[in-house]
Amino acid sequence: MNFILRMAWREIRASWHRLLFFFICIAIGVASIVAIRSVIQGVRVALAAEAQAVLAADFIISSNRPFTENVLKTIAAEEQAGRVTARAETIEVSTMVRPADAGKVVTKMAELRGVEPAFPFYGRMVLREGQYSHAMLKGHGAIVRPELLAQLGVAVGDTLLIGNSEFEIRGVVTSEPGRRLGAFTLGPRIFIDRQDVEATGLLGFGSRSNREILLKVREADVVSLLPRLRAAFANDFARVRSYRASEDDLGEDLTRTENYLSLVGLVVLILGGIGVSSVTRVFVQQKIKSIAILKCLGGTSPQVLAVYMSQVLALGLAGSLLGVALAGGALAAVPSVLGELTTLLPVDYSLTPGAVVQGLAVGVLVSLLFSIVPLLEVRLVKPSLLLRQDIPSSPKFDWLKWGVTGVVATALVGVASWQAGSIVVGLVLSGGFVAVAFVLHLAGLALIRAVQPLRYSKSFALRQAVLHVARPGNQTRVILLAVGLGTFFILGVQSLQANLLRDFSLQAGPDAPDMFLMDIQADQTEALARFVDDANGTAPAPRVIPTLRARVVGVQGQEIDLENYQEVRRRGGMSREYTVTYRPALQSNESLVAGEWWGDTPVTPETAEVSIEEAFINRDNDDRREPEDAPAQAGPSRINVGDRMQFDVLGRIITARVASVRHVEWQDFRSGGFMFVFRPGSFGDAPHSFISTLQGPADADERLRMQVALVGRFPNVSIVDLREVLQTIQGIVQNVTLAVTVVGGLVLFSGILILIGAVSMTKFRRVYEAAILKTLGATSRLIATMLLLEYGVLGAIAGTVGALGAIALSWAVARFALELSWAATPGITISGIVITTLLVALIGVLASLDVLRNKPLSTLRAE
Amino acid sequence: MIELRGVSKTVMSGDRPLTILKPLDVIIPSGQFVAIVGPSGSGKSTLLGLLAGLDAPSSGSITVDGTDITNLDEDGLARLRGEKIGFVFQFFHLVPSLTALENILVPMEIAGRRDAMSRARQLLDEVELSDRGHHYPSQLSGGEQQRIAIARALANDPPILLADEPTGNLDTSTGQHILDLLLGVHRARKSTLILVTHDADLAALADERLVLRDGTRVYPSAEVLR
Repeated sequence: MNFILRMAWREIRASWHRLLFFFICIAIGVASIVAIRSVIQGVRVALAAEAQAVLAADFIISSNRPFTENVLKTIAAEEQAGRVTARAETIEVSTMVRPADAGKVVTKMAELRGVEPAFPFYGRMVLREGQYSHAMLKGHGAIVRPELLAQLGVAVGDTLLIGNSEFEIRGVVTSEPGRRLGAFTLGPRIFIDRQDVEATGLLGFGSRSNREILLKVREADVVSLLPRLRAAFANDFARVRSYRASEDDLGEDLTRTENYLSLVGLVVLILGGIGVSSVTRVFVQQKIKSIAILKCLGGTSPQVLAVYMSQVLALGLAGSLLGVALAGGALAAVPSVLGELTTLLPVDYSLTPGAVVQGLAVGVLVSLLFSIVPLLEVRLVKPSLLLRQDIPSSPKFDWLKWGVTGVVATALVGVASWQAGSIVVGLVLSGGFVAVAFVLHLAGLALIRAVQPLRYSKSFALRQAVLHVARPGNQTRVILLAVGLGTFFILGVQSLQANLLRDFSLQAGPDAPDMFLMDIQADQTEALARFVDDANGTAPAPRVIPTLRARVVGVQGQEIDLENYQEVRRRGGMSREYTVTYRPALQSNESLVAGEWWGDTPVTPETAEVSIEEAFINRDNDDRREPEDAPAQAGPSRINVGDRMQFDVLGRIITARVASVRHVEWQDFRSGGFMFVFRPGSFGDAPHSFISTLQGPADADERLRMQVALVGRFPNVSIVDLREVLQTIQGIVQNVTLAVTVVGGLVLFSGILILIGAVSMTKFRRVYEAAILKTLGATSRLIATMLLLEYGVLGAIAGTVGALGAIALSWAVARFALELSWAATPGITISGIVITTLLVALIGVLASLDVLRNKPLSTLRAE
Repeated sequence: MIELRGVSKTVMSGDRPLTILKPLDVIIPSGQFVAIVGPSGSGKSTLLGLLAGLDAPSSGSITVDGTDITNLDEDGLARLRGEKIGFVFQFFHLVPSLTALENILVPMEIAGRRDAMSRARQLLDEVELSDRGHHYPSQLSGGEQQRIAIARALANDPPILLADEPTGNLDTSTGQHILDLLLGVHRARKSTLILVTHDADLAALADERLVLRDGTRVYPSAEVLR
């Protein structure tokens, strides 16, 4: 043991710099894993500590309609029984707000939340200055998010116009309980007193409000109350959540996120592992003589194997520790990078012991697993080669090597599964890697063959370069895999981004509407159309579309009991409430798939007709397959033209004949899209609101003035400015692209390190060849040209293979995952190949400077 | 004692067998100095390699101090070398990543000797290189490297010392110094010394001369040898 450790230490001392690059790869992979896991585990700890504060209560009962008598009575009964110790009601509604000062021409969509004095039960409202108390909201006071101040150009003490009422800004809230992390919002939050919400006039017909009853519950009853309330509200369209359940759901989500993100680190680590494997192979080749000497001096194969295994373990551990240090540094930088986001949840951004242990274990395991097979070559080294230049011969079938390869493969699948938290994902990742490596290998072989005619080139340097690329034992495979994979990731993501942005700009073409107006009342439609026409001047007249909320309650005469909330949950997509419309004609983004379109003549509710979108048929049939244990004959058949469907429209049941099936181009939102379109007259005189799409003024100031005037005249109408939405979406796409590019960059960086390492490791051959060529009259310049061309050819092959893979990747993701039309991005592809070629050529030459500098005599003597 | 019975060695040269050593019977008593001589390609180094268990014979048996080494596996042979055999090569074969002192330490560390360090320093002294212990092989001259190789071969006090043309790669005066060292060790420790050489004068000093030609032992007259 003493000998093994001492020899391992001496070998590290002599050759650590040759293995450095590969263990930096291990370090980067480990750093990714440790940093990602630490952040998410930190978030989990913070959430667990503030689980109640995340909901602001023990229980939340929410509904998008006024609470029924049953809900209110049940809660009152629980209060009387002492299980519910306190309650508070809140209401949320999205609306447009603007400064009451008529001189300030600006308006913004905001999320209004009316709260009662008891809010919040847990957590606290953090104000920029002073302490929060509900008294601040009394008498039309408001507390707002800081971004609203900036957007509206107002300050504490100013007055806001919300709906029909004015509210004085009395504080700025920087952190609030009951706010979900990353929840989508239409605008900054405004808190007012619950009692003042009605006064704004925003709860009128057609408004989209969300009502919540927050409960504080006796600790002993938290678990038992949840199923009891859910059962009691089964038919009330009231959703019940408890902080415990939220904690569990969030916990599961976070575990999944943690595992999936950690796979990114594992990919980098496996790439490093491939580097470790190839360098170990070269390392053993270089050490053959030393191994033979050790055997000659009495060292057994297991002892010598243990020496090199210990060396790999030590360097793997060192790489992993470096990775942990890098992760620690990255985490320390998180708060300054996230800035204000960190105030949402007080997370401790530091290394967690669990993440560190996992990172170290995975780093050492990957180092060991990837080096053990090449290290087995140590067994085959015979001491007799010290007397004769024997080449170690491999047995015809090396059982041990294949057995160990099998164990290593299984262990790698195990590591991947462990990191992913799923055997299936582990298998898919490992299989995917093998497949990509195999494809890159095959493509590389094909391209190497393709450049072979150049070996007959007139240029000596080019001839030699092509010969070197194809010679046995070179680093072609490892460079192709490492650089090819990095190029594949980066170009794939860039191409996908280009396609996404092209698609968005297509949709936001010059003739597209860029503003949506919602919640328009029937008596406002004409006045609003006139107003927009006046404000807009030459732009096309606004389209006003009637909308109603409807639920499917029966198909083909078979009643679906969707009054039961459990049934609604089970039915999923089919049962949800749909926004529907009626009109006499098809839109430009619609086409008829089956049936006939109705004429201009309206119908009556008794002879109502509906056209359904084709996706609903598939969804409906999927829904109807459940439950699996239902008798087979009970399953209704597919919805066809001529079938009858029942809809619940504001409590009134409308039976409509399915007149047609349509296909809607959902991506073309210029004409909007509805799952159900009814024939005019189908709803009789049922009350409904309208939405409008229009093209607002192009000038930003004019646009703002129009919005302010519109909100002033029609306070209940909400404006969604698509320009802002588009900017937001573009921002999100850019952020996602940046994130994936960072990952791709990490992979490419690892690839470059492996490239430098591979060049350094195989340099000893090059140095010797260069020495011979120099004695035969080759100048340093000629040798440099040879190197440049050799690595240029390798870079071009790796870049081409990666770029071809990237085209396939972006096409597949665009076509199948995002359902976008795909177009080639030749600029990205060509520049990617050129940059990769230059990069590899440059690094190849720089890493081989010794080859150029060494004097031939000293090299030949050393051999 | 070393005993060879019908030992031969055949290797494949391309797709044809090539016999390097024809069946040979030799007995070398303990403590003897044996010189193996013969022209290049006569099988001298092959025979030495077989004696050290660095290679396996194609036929026959080799017994070293009562142990039939042809029945030992690779690791058994390695252990035998560690205990009983010291080997000095023509091209020194020091481990390039280890210092001179560490090269001497290796066989003792493999054997698990506790006094490895003090013994290594003593051996460095004996080969008159105590001030060069921290140097790497690439920093030593050929003669110095060979002296370190001899010190390494002596590290575990092996009863058998094998040397494959130990002076073949050195100038005359350095070569003489190395030979004096080897013969001194042989005399002082009464170890068996088997030495491959082209040097007729050196061979004449041996207790016995084993002359090989085309893989066969020949018995030339004393005059020719001299």
